[in-house]
Amino acid sequence: MKFSEEEIRKITFEAINELGDNAPPEAIKELVRKRVEALGGEYQFKKNEASFGRVILTSFGMNHPGIVASVTKALSDANCDIQDLSQKILGDFYTMIMVVDISGSPKDLRDIQEDLNKVAEEQKIKIYLQHEDVFRYMHRI
Amino acid sequence: MPYEFEEILETIRMTEIEHFDIRTVTMGISLRDCHDRNIDVTKQKIYDKLFRYGKNHVKFAKEVESQYGISIANKRISVTPISIPFDSCNAEEFIEIAKTLDKAAEDIGIDYIAGFSALVQKGMTNGERELIKAIPFALSQTKRVCSSVNIASTKAGINMDAILLMSEAIKLTAEKTKDHDSIGCAKLVVFANAVEDNPFVAGAFHGVSEPEVVLNVGISGPGVVLDAIREAGNVDLQHLSEVIKKTIFKITRAGELIGRKVAEKNGIPFGIVDISLAPTPAEGDSIADILKAMGVEDVGAPGTTAALAMLNDSVKKAGLMASSSVGGMSGAFIPVSEDMGMIRAVQAGNLSLEKLEAMTAVCSVGLDMIAIPGDTPASTIAGIIADEAAIGVINDKTTAVRIIPAFGKKIGDFVDYGGLLGKAPIMEVRKLCSEGFVARGGRIPAPMRSLTN
Repeated sequence: MKFSEEEIRKITFEAINELGDNAPPEAIKELVRKRVEALGGEYQFKKNEASFGRVILTSFGMNHPGIVASVTKALSDANCDIQDLSQKILGDFYTMIMVVDISGSPKDLRDIQEDLNKVAEEQKIKIYLQHEDVFRYMHRI
Repeated sequence: MPYEFEEILETIRMTEIEHFDIRTVTMGISLRDCHDRNIDVTKQKIYDKLFRYGKNHVKFAKEVESQYGISIANKRISVTPISIPFDSCNAEEFIEIAKTLDKAAEDIGIDYIAGFSALVQKGMTNGERELIKAIPFALSQTKRVCSSVNIASTKAGINMDAILLMSEAIKLTAEKTKDHDSIGCAKLVVFANAVEDNPFVAGAFHGVSEPEVVLNVGISGPGVVLDAIREAGNVDLQHLSEVIKKTIFKITRAGELIGRKVAEKNGIPFGIVDISLAPTPAEGDSIADILKAMGVEDVGAPGTTAALAMLNDSVKKAGLMASSSVGGMSGAFIPVSEDMGMIRAVQAGNLSLEKLEAMTAVCSVGLDMIAIPGDTPASTIAGIIADEAAIGVINDKTTAVRIIPAFGKKIGDFVDYGGLLGKAPIMEVRKLCSEGFVARGGRIPAPMRSLTN
């Protein structure tokens, strides 16, 4: 059974009334979930599009120990799945490309980009994170 | 890996080093249902409708930017040519409407809104005369409103009466905005064969056959083409055309993706992708530099027109292959003030108004962002517009004139607007008089379509 937006809003308002204005959002979410499931519905928050699918991570800069570790740690902290990884080293310079699935992550693409910007700053490297579609459109007919 | 290492790096290089960006995502909004007998109600209806559709335009465009790592330089809005729904208004009321557009644009958070326009290629209604009369006042009293008037078409011919009115309007606009280097003229375009789905401001408007609301996208990328040509080295012209096409193909695909995603987020239909190569004053983002990389010593050298023709044609061929939604202008823009290479060519004395005019016969628009001495008579400006319109009408293509008779300035001076409008050296205009011809008025009849030699 599917609920309309209006019905979900109603259930949410009831939950807020029941728990009081100062209730933490998690508690309200939990109560709404219980109510929806009790009524035979499926509870699932619709994630926005930017948090689905695969993204391409490109990173380059001067090579030094710890780059892969710091990037993969940030990705694993965000619960992202690394599906492919490839890198090349030319003299002191490295380039690394990863295919990352962010569908399972609680964060959306922008949050993950922010996390990685911090890594890029710490490691003094460049990291770009772009949705896969742009490569598919540009390089595949 | 689903993509080659080189493919991924090529995309990164385009977006990060070669200035590849989406020049504009322009939301076209119909105002045909906004008329009311009471001007205050009309203004409210216009504001409400623009704000309703446009309020998330900038936000959504920014989200798409970060998702795909491709920046979108401009987020803009075009509207139905104002003279059409509001034909019963007088000049004062048109100025009020312009101010309403300006306010809506400001509140939405966009830099330009276009469509303070009239289509008068065959003749003028009373409302259209009033709108043209209002243009200098509207452009000097607003910051974000852009205006265009179509004065000729292949089907109707060239309306010389309208050209005369427009040349006077251009002069008055220059005078009324003299404190800011006559900037009003940078927001005023005179068209022949104007297109209805052009996303590029200042000439954009939302044509009468367009849907209620639509999202059009204009790509860019002279920097990317320039680097590809440089990389190709000394190859023959067929090979060079191939290099240009491959690059444009990729750019167009990315442009369409971005346009579709922004439209999707706004919940409105996607219209067209305009594949024009549009330069910016940024170093390396220049059409002139492309022509030089193709082999001419400077823009203006014999061979420039041929090089531009080939560039423009290659751009179109690749764009059409890449997308089924190509529209708008779709060619190469050669504005002077917005292209560092063009500015240098003018300063060096290599590029004259006449050569520019010849170039416009084979490229996208026309005499664009050209500053001329402030004392140039209106009849001479009318002559320039008529020449440009003739090129468009006879060749069945869009041409335009966006000319700035910079008030109080003479050859050797500059107008400087900063930002995307850039700066332009004042160019020399022939002192010969056109009065006797243009002052005849009337209309040059529509041309014949056979025996085209």
